[in-house]
Amino acid sequence: MWIEALIAVTLASAGAVFLSPNKVAGKIAFVLSLLPVGGSLWMYSTYEASGNALLEGSTLAFETNADWIVAGPYSLNWHVGLDGISMPLIALTTVLTSLALLASWTPIDERQSQFYGLMLFLEASLLGVFSALDFFVWFVFWEMVLVPMYVLIGVWGGPRRKYAAIKMFVYTNIASLALFIGFTALVFGLGDAVNTFDMAAVAQALRAGELGALGPIGAGTLKLVAFVAMFVGFAVKVPVVPFHTWLPDAHVEAPTPVSIMLAGVLLKMGTYALLRFNFTMLPDIAQQNAQLIALFAVISVIYGAMLALAQTDLKRIVAYSSVSSMGYVILGLVAYTVYGMGGATFQMVAHGLISGLMFMAVGVIYNTTHTRMVSDMSGLASKMPITVAVFVAGAFGYMGLPLMAGFAAELFIFLGAFGAFEGSVLFTAAAMFGIVIVAGYLLLAMQRTLFGPFEIETDYEVSPAAFHDVAPLVVLILLVVLLGVDPNIFFEMIQNAVDPLAPAAGGGV
Amino acid sequence: MAALSFELAPVIAALPFVSFLIALLAGAFAPRLLPKGGAIPGIAATAGSLLLSAWAALAVWNSSEGVYHESITWVAGVGDAAFDLHFGILLDPLSTMMLVIVSLVAVLVHVFSLGYMNDEGETGLPRYYAGLGLFTASMLSFVFASNLLMAFMFFELVGLCSWLLIGFHFREPGPPSAAKKAFLVTRFGDYFFLVGVVGVFATFGTTAFAGSESFPHLAEQVLAGEASATTFLGLDPQAWFAVLGLLVLGGVVGKSAQYPLHTWLPDAMEGPTPVSALIHAATMVAAGVYLVARMYGFYALLPQVLAFIAFVGGFTALFAASMGVVKKELKQVLAYSTISQYGYMMLGLGAGGYVAATFHLMTHAFFKALLFLGAGSVIIAMHHNENMWDMGGLKEKMPVTYYAFLSGSLALAGIVPFSGFWSKDEVLYEALVHGLDSPLLLGAYAMGLLAVFFTGFYTFRMVALTFHGDPRTDTARDPHGVGWNVKLPLVVLGTLAAVAGLVNMVPVAELTGAHLEFLHDWLDAGPEALTAHHYGDLLPYSSGTIGTELTTVLLSAGVSLGLALAGAGLAWKLYAVADPDEHTDKLGSAKTVLFNNYYQDEYQVWIATGLTLPLARAADKFDQGVIDGVVNGVSSVSLLSGSRVKRIQSGVVTNYAFLLTASLVVLLVAIGLIGGWF
Repeated sequence: MWIEALIAVTLASAGAVFLSPNKVAGKIAFVLSLLPVGGSLWMYSTYEASGNALLEGSTLAFETNADWIVAGPYSLNWHVGLDGISMPLIALTTVLTSLALLASWTPIDERQSQFYGLMLFLEASLLGVFSALDFFVWFVFWEMVLVPMYVLIGVWGGPRRKYAAIKMFVYTNIASLALFIGFTALVFGLGDAVNTFDMAAVAQALRAGELGALGPIGAGTLKLVAFVAMFVGFAVKVPVVPFHTWLPDAHVEAPTPVSIMLAGVLLKMGTYALLRFNFTMLPDIAQQNAQLIALFAVISVIYGAMLALAQTDLKRIVAYSSVSSMGYVILGLVAYTVYGMGGATFQMVAHGLISGLMFMAVGVIYNTTHTRMVSDMSGLASKMPITVAVFVAGAFGYMGLPLMAGFAAELFIFLGAFGAFEGSVLFTAAAMFGIVIVAGYLLLAMQRTLFGPFEIETDYEVSPAAFHDVAPLVVLILLVVLLGVDPNIFFEMIQNAVDPLAPAAGGGV
Repeated sequence: MAALSFELAPVIAALPFVSFLIALLAGAFAPRLLPKGGAIPGIAATAGSLLLSAWAALAVWNSSEGVYHESITWVAGVGDAAFDLHFGILLDPLSTMMLVIVSLVAVLVHVFSLGYMNDEGETGLPRYYAGLGLFTASMLSFVFASNLLMAFMFFELVGLCSWLLIGFHFREPGPPSAAKKAFLVTRFGDYFFLVGVVGVFATFGTTAFAGSESFPHLAEQVLAGEASATTFLGLDPQAWFAVLGLLVLGGVVGKSAQYPLHTWLPDAMEGPTPVSALIHAATMVAAGVYLVARMYGFYALLPQVLAFIAFVGGFTALFAASMGVVKKELKQVLAYSTISQYGYMMLGLGAGGYVAATFHLMTHAFFKALLFLGAGSVIIAMHHNENMWDMGGLKEKMPVTYYAFLSGSLALAGIVPFSGFWSKDEVLYEALVHGLDSPLLLGAYAMGLLAVFFTGFYTFRMVALTFHGDPRTDTARDPHGVGWNVKLPLVVLGTLAAVAGLVNMVPVAELTGAHLEFLHDWLDAGPEALTAHHYGDLLPYSSGTIGTELTTVLLSAGVSLGLALAGAGLAWKLYAVADPDEHTDKLGSAKTVLFNNYYQDEYQVWIATGLTLPLARAADKFDQGVIDGVVNGVSSVSLLSGSRVKRIQSGVVTNYAFLLTASLVVLLVAIGLIGGWF
């Protein structure tokens, strides 16, 4: 019942904050958000599970599987539970939300109770996405995420917030439609083999080759079409180039805490779902098309990094660099090795923390300078030393500095992908060049904005940030270093959960 | 006893790391409690590291096993073919020697910083000493790393520290730019290194340097047909190993500032001078060459790669030395001499002179640290003016600095009996005897030999312009005095630069038959697979001689000494006069080329700003126009046309909640219909 309690407490907190006065909503929300943090940490400390949630022979942690609705021949179950893939993401969600709430105190100065309530509602939905194991339950949470997100950008966003919010909403909703059709087609194609939308049952039936024809569509075609539909659906969320253009717009318009959630957790929904659905349920299609998928990954890495290099707005730089970093995740997934898929999962957490940190740091700078344009400022290091120090540390984390989480994640992905499939050596080597470009654009941006003589184009007094702005930054950088020094905090359970997926490939190291 | 000194090995790197933490935390929260801005904890820590390193070196010498190799598992692999990732410490003659050098230079640099930073009233001292501490800790960890992955990780941290320290004066425009360039150029090299590390893992399943399960040993077995390994890209083991060797070499070329990735190093002079001493003598730049020596058992198997190393080294030695002859600023001359000297080490390693190159690495560490600290002393005296044309006549005013600097200069130029002579001569000798059977190597030797002349020239041009003749400015007439904290490191290093060469006097040994090759004995101790004679057996070279071995030795030494003296003498004649001229016009059109460093910076800057940036902007245009254009276009012609989308998405939560519920109902009905519910 722990997952239910976690979600229920978060939802109840959201409700309480909705009703609280604007003045204290931020403080109440932060304090209440410590409950799910404590809960998830408690769950982590008592976590005992083995295997992959969707495959045979697994034991899940905190599992509930209860009948919910019976629809014709299909039963929809309330099925939630955690394995080594979802546990780290649950922890990431709760911790990052708490810190994002703290980072909202300065920039959010109107309709606070609604803002904080929606943030907590968003957290509850995300917890549902990462713990649900029945497709319908999962899909409801998946769609629920969009509601607060849409409003948070549309109401508290920048000048073009309406455009960005609608674009994000429509784009990802069409994607949801594609994945919905893809998955349900598979279930119907399985015919009598399954009478449930339980993800584990479907995955096991599909892997056992139970898929039959659906109407005039043969099983082979059905598999491929469903794979493509789901891949596109999730690729929008990740986002994989060329489905990425909603992301920079959304980021630029979103207020800082929303960007933190968007980059830190929401993007991981896409890669998490790719891992759970495409790569777990249809491994043969993924492996037959490994080169094509790896090509998407490499293009995302390099092209995303090149786009980041061209930007002149700090937030856009960080936004595009997410596209680049998430490309590594795709490369790790398609490797079908423990290091590759485990590294991909680890990268979800690592990138969640690091990109959250970067957006937060950009936000802290924006709070005081009221500009994000690289050309508008220089020499901030003399005015806000601690913020800049953490910014620098975070940027090096983004560049994959050893003993920080990003390096461990990328190293695992590269180790897992190198030699994993035909042509993987060249794909991996090409993707790795991203580490040079990321250093290029981050160092360039830092040199221009943080160093040199102090100058600013706006008429604001630049002063060191408040304690509640700096504290979450410091917490994040410490977490990034902690995970980088000892990746086993999450990596052991991740390895355990992806190991059953890996032998399907038979290749690689 | 021996066991305890080995047990304490992690402390060697941990001490400077603790001084980093002290400087960082105390600097942020209680700056007043920090003695001398962090210098005292730094000095104590590095001195402790020096003692422990020396103890470990003694223990290695006395130990029957000769090596200490202990690993902890960082990440354990899961699955059948998965490998573990380790952190480990490898203490053998090579690594303990380097530990002593690094910690010695580090402690002297810390002491010198008291005079250069504290006494000059610099701000941000805790940040400075934190950087020095982390730099030293990273380098020491890199040196005793037992595997290639750990080496890579600390190699990267060394890069970070160089960025922090080169950009120390971040309020000025120059240092941050130089720091960025240093990190980026070396990162470019490290990219290849990382691909190499991953490739070594994929090929051998391990990156350990030593032991029966180490990758050099496995490679040896594979090439001898006694084992098999996975290779990639359809290459046979010999070719694939060569690819791996070259990939790792990418990192070496970047960090050791070899052509064409040398361009970051002269710019890095923007950092405080003690940092330059540390970077050039003992840490960052040394890391590259040290890595080749560390995994020499692998490189010795790969003749093509060795030839490449030798050629790059010889070329870089000459190329950089030629640029050093026209520079106006003291530290610039030293910067190009560093590039050139590391070229010699590469030449030595590529030519099969493992001991010779390691020897030069050691002597260079002493005399280059000395020259930088000496330059720092001059810069203090000159109120931070580095232009040699504003100096002159400083010999009388600062005798300690002068004689120490002279000792370092004689070593750099390779004048007998100063340390640089012995080591450089041995490098050239190895290149010559192995080159007699290999035209490519002989070409590399010729370039290295020619560079000796240039080295002698720029070194004594520097000495003459700085210390001799008449003072050319008021500052030079009345220089600022320097304290004991500047003089002490100079005296220690000045002595070492003069006598360190005595540990391996090969020509004298040949001439007299006396046993004087102590360094050779040192590097021949330890585990069999890491010894100099084992490498000698692996090397693909055969030696030629000119006449007898003795005549070859004497000829080689005589020619290089003669060239060094000729270069030094010419410089002395031109510049050690009361009022020297520049004489650069005599170079004709070559002058412009040399002043512009062969336009190497220009083309690299062009690649960054003239090619990559416009490409990025074009990609951005394409992204905004084409990809996003398609997205927006599709949405406006689709069934949900723009205005209707807007009407549905009115921003009211209840509308959306209604839509969500409605779609769920529709879906349930659809399932029911298909499933025959109704």
